[in-house]
Amino acid sequence: MKLKVFADRGSQPSRAVLIFCKANGIEFEEVQIQLAKGEHKSPEYEAINPMKQVPAIEVDGKFRLFESHAILRFLATAFPGIAEHWYPADVFKRAQIDSALDWHHSTIRRGSVGVVLNTTLAPLFGRPLDPQAAAEAEKLLSASLAKIESFWLKGDGPFLLGNSEPSIADLSLVCEIMQLELVDEKLQKRILDPYAKVRKWVEDTKKAIQPHFDEIHVAFFQMKEMIKKARAGAGSGETKTG
Amino acid sequence: MKLKLFVDRLSQPCRAILIFCKMNKIEFVEVRIELSKGEQLSPEFKEINPMQKVPAMKVDERFRLFESHAILRFLAGAFPGVADHWYPADLFKRAEIDSVLDWHHANLRHGSAGLVFHSKLARLSGRPLDLRAAADCEKVLSASLAKIESVWLKEEGQFLLGNSKPSIADLSLVCETMQLEALDEKDRKRLLDPHEKVRKWMDDTRNATQPYFDEIHGVLFQVKDKLKEMESDE
Repeated sequence: MKLKVFADRGSQPSRAVLIFCKANGIEFEEVQIQLAKGEHKSPEYEAINPMKQVPAIEVDGKFRLFESHAILRFLATAFPGIAEHWYPADVFKRAQIDSALDWHHSTIRRGSVGVVLNTTLAPLFGRPLDPQAAAEAEKLLSASLAKIESFWLKGDGPFLLGNSEPSIADLSLVCEIMQLELVDEKLQKRILDPYAKVRKWVEDTKKAIQPHFDEIHVAFFQMKEMIKKARAGAGSGETKTG
Repeated sequence: MKLKLFVDRLSQPCRAILIFCKMNKIEFVEVRIELSKGEQLSPEFKEINPMQKVPAMKVDERFRLFESHAILRFLAGAFPGVADHWYPADLFKRAEIDSVLDWHHANLRHGSAGLVFHSKLARLSGRPLDLRAAADCEKVLSASLAKIESVWLKEEGQFLLGNSKPSIADLSLVCETMQLEALDEKDRKRLLDPHEKVRKWMDDTRNATQPYFDEIHGVLFQVKDKLKEMESDE
């Protein structure tokens, strides 16, 4: 199967799909869709994904799929040689991973996106920052991180659901939490410091998927540096005239 | 497998699971958790679902599961005799259904549930309405209905993705749109009238799952009357 992955490495779910492919030796062609340049709104890309979001995949030039969790489930089951722990065949284990993936949308995803967009990234998309929306999103995110500590990380192993090896749920949720690297350091600490188990789980997940995890995050950390510089420039009192 | 379902029929994802079980002759015990009485917040229910939400499921008194899409996938895969069209074994068809189920959360679900809760149902549990939040959710709802028409419903087939038979995605999303019955008739018409394809798909899904669809949705129509009473008392 010839696989094309349409991604922006600045996008959390894009990174999860890219890392999964690399970690499992799945060959693919990466097509960069740069969100900051509005490339997701082009008619060509709309033909790939009518929702105009990344990531998306195309198989053999004819089967298209979007929504990162659907993509991860598809890749885990349609490609040979994928280790069982990513998305187990056992219906009970699989159901628990599905539960974490579903829970993610309205909790970690919603909270994290709300914080990062409304404190940092909105201007990149021509929108104003929104401190009130950011505060609401932070509440949701904190409550969700608390749930990861009290429920999802219960059990013997270091990964979600007490598993001893990472699943696609760990990959998806950790890539989402990584996005907090983009916000002001004080804010990042305020959000994550209370949750030692979460921080350990993020590190364990990264370790388990090296070197692919770090490799896919290189562009993301470059983006972080650019944003930090811009934030420092704005804070030094320079004003744009005209 | 002995199946227990913890549900409130006022909840859209609960209804989807109940209809699915009835359609597929899956035997279960229904344990009613009344949201308007705050029963989901009891310590007993927290043992079943630490997220304190419905629906939740228990199998053989030991395996617990929450999140309706995870439950629907589990039931489709774990019980014998479930027709393939609900959640096909073919990985490509299955992936497309997964895509709809995932899209649903931040789109139709967020829009519809938010609108109905913040403008109507909050009253049932004695909470204040939040019309600003309702207005935001209405925008998301309208955009989502438009996407269902332009992306998910095709020329061929009556169901999502151009399928000729309903899947768990049809069931989940139609139960969500049915929640709009709780709105004032004029608002419901205003939201749904522009979307003829959506209305037809709702009817087709309802017809394909009778008599259970109407049976399980009965409570929604009772609530409509109750809300009218509460509003006229003010």
